[in-house]
Amino acid sequence: MKTSTDISSDKSEARWREYVFALAACGFTALAATPLREHLDLANTVMLFLLTVALVAVRLGRNPAILAAFFSVALFDFFFVPPRFSFAVNDAQYLVTFAVMLAVALIISHLTAGLRQRALEAKERERRSRSLYGLAKALAGAVSQEQVREVTRIFLRDTLRGETSLLLPDALEELTAIGEDLSTISLPLLYTARSAFNSGQTIVSAHVEDGDLRSLYLPLQGSTRMRGVLVVSVPLDLAHALQDQRPLLQAVASLVATAVERLHFVEVAQDSQLQIASERLRSSILSALSHDVRTPLTALYGLADTLVLSKPPLPEGLLDTASAIRDQALRLNGMVGNLLDMARLQAGKITLRKEWQPLEEVIGASIKLLGAGLQAHPVKVNLPSDLPLLEFDAVLMERVFCNLLENAAKYSPGSAEITISAEARAAAVEVTICNPGAGFPPDKLEKIFEMFERGTLESAIPGVGIGLAICRAIVEVHGGQIQAFNPAAGGACVRFSLPCGKPPAIEAESATEAGEMP
Amino acid sequence: MSAVPSLVLVVEDEQQIRRFVRAALEAEGCRVAEAQTMAQGLVDAGTRKPDLIILDLGLPDGDGTHFVQDLRAWSNLPVLVLSARSTEYDKIGVLDAGADDYLTKPFSVGELLARVRALLRRSKAGGEIENSMQHFGEVEVDLARRQVTRRGAPVHLTPLEYRLLCVLLANAGKVLTHRHLLRDVWGPSYVESSHYLRVYVGHLRQKLEDDPAQPRHFLTETGVGYRFQF
Repeated sequence: MKTSTDISSDKSEARWREYVFALAACGFTALAATPLREHLDLANTVMLFLLTVALVAVRLGRNPAILAAFFSVALFDFFFVPPRFSFAVNDAQYLVTFAVMLAVALIISHLTAGLRQRALEAKERERRSRSLYGLAKALAGAVSQEQVREVTRIFLRDTLRGETSLLLPDALEELTAIGEDLSTISLPLLYTARSAFNSGQTIVSAHVEDGDLRSLYLPLQGSTRMRGVLVVSVPLDLAHALQDQRPLLQAVASLVATAVERLHFVEVAQDSQLQIASERLRSSILSALSHDVRTPLTALYGLADTLVLSKPPLPEGLLDTASAIRDQALRLNGMVGNLLDMARLQAGKITLRKEWQPLEEVIGASIKLLGAGLQAHPVKVNLPSDLPLLEFDAVLMERVFCNLLENAAKYSPGSAEITISAEARAAAVEVTICNPGAGFPPDKLEKIFEMFERGTLESAIPGVGIGLAICRAIVEVHGGQIQAFNPAAGGACVRFSLPCGKPPAIEAESATEAGEMP
Repeated sequence: MSAVPSLVLVVEDEQQIRRFVRAALEAEGCRVAEAQTMAQGLVDAGTRKPDLIILDLGLPDGDGTHFVQDLRAWSNLPVLVLSARSTEYDKIGVLDAGADDYLTKPFSVGELLARVRALLRRSKAGGEIENSMQHFGEVEVDLARRQVTRRGAPVHLTPLEYRLLCVLLANAGKVLTHRHLLRDVWGPSYVESSHYLRVYVGHLRQKLEDDPAQPRHFLTETGVGYRFQF
């Protein structure tokens, strides 16, 4: 690439050459007209010179044409007007000729040069719109942000000899350079880009440590939001180009914004498609698993139950075996249920069917559902009568109570009583389930809510230690908290909270009795 | 059981489940017909004229809701649905379409037979309450005089509580979805206001159950609805 001094010396050399050409053209005309002097009237010689000035104006522009106008008048006076080879003039009339010739030459050069200028401008405009069109086409085909940056960089290098940086926000809304190492970008540039991004204003600034560069920060305004910043840097002596070419640069910025936005939407569409596909896969695996595991379990449980109930009854030993098979099948079913629930909860996509309802109902349903699973432990339910309605998913909350009750039954001795109590606090209702017994290991009060964690390692009490983890997951998706503690009086307690929210109003009913109904 | 043994149609694709269901029903004195697909089940329901259909919701060839809707177009015969626990919300669809009851897999022979007996008894009685005096626990309901007594003392019920009690009594042994109860007691514009139903069932339990937190008659079918049991 050429340095800026090269470029300016190139330019002045070209200009100098234009003037030489202009002078040479006039000299050539004079030479050509000399042999014809005998046959040509002087007026016609003037015409030849005017033609020359016009041609110079067309080819070389205004200033060489003005030089040619004066030089033509001088040559005409010196070589053609008697006395020849002298600037002296015999006839004063020739002064009029000179004046008119000069005036006409200047007017011609002015008009012609103006035309030429406009033609050049039109050509330049055409070239620019052609190149913008090329840029638009290239951007439309770009499939990555790197490609967008590369296409823009090449375009601006060719049109402005500028350097280009494309800064786009990442997931954390931090501007990141596309296609170049962020560490090569100076901090002031990054800060200025940030402020252009935030304000949406185009900023012109010079920063010094990169040599003498002047940069233009063009915010990329998308249809819905700011998409990033395009930074164009040019050497200081070309800085005027940033100003002159502002409309072009704005057009480039809006093309780049469109391209970046298009890429963003393509990405969003692909992401959501991928997510839908993986979600569908996961839920179909889960439901297939749950169906495929439950079907043989149902058969196993039912067949064992049939054996237990068969008439005439099985001999004692076989009867015990059959009922053991039945009970184990039921336990296995419970574990499978818990594992599938946990898989669903961990997938994080569980849909809560929250409804306003009294806590009492789901507690009663859980106790009834557990039935034999409570192993003859009576459950005492202690709820204040003014407990507000709570909003929760009844099916999931039933899982919480079932798991907690089952756990309590598992770890309490003999036929000790399990208690459930609740208390309304300011913003939440706290539910506590306690059972007598050894209590939780004091150092594991937190850990027992983790997956596959049990109070006592290698204990004889069955279970895979997933129940409490499920309870925590369910309570947390309801916006509550769960904790375990050992009360001073002995035993173990689990307490969880459910936020109160604003229960819907129940229209009061007229207090007439059923017997008095109309 | 009556002199003519009842015919039960079991629509289930899993052979081992059919096997123990058949064994249990035959031990109970029923005749059993089997169908392995929903399509075959619908045909058999028409040709064999069973007294009860046991329908598995997990059949590969169809949607239980459509089966029940098709069946209900021409028949009132009771339908007991078998389903897995993970599909609570499929059950509601089938029950709303007109199925009478459901059992969650895995289920015991005892549970199955209890449901079958209740449904057969209901269909024999034609779904009508023949006796205007109903008893459960220590409660006595005189439908003719609209009076409810508990341990001999009158119980005051509001009109809506009484209407809810009547709907539950009339469908004793059957699962009623929240939607169904709200529509019958409060009217069609209340079908989404399930908190009304829950609060009123709570009232009935407070007034009529010995231990409202562990009810014996007004049972909750979590996520689905309620069942009244004598």
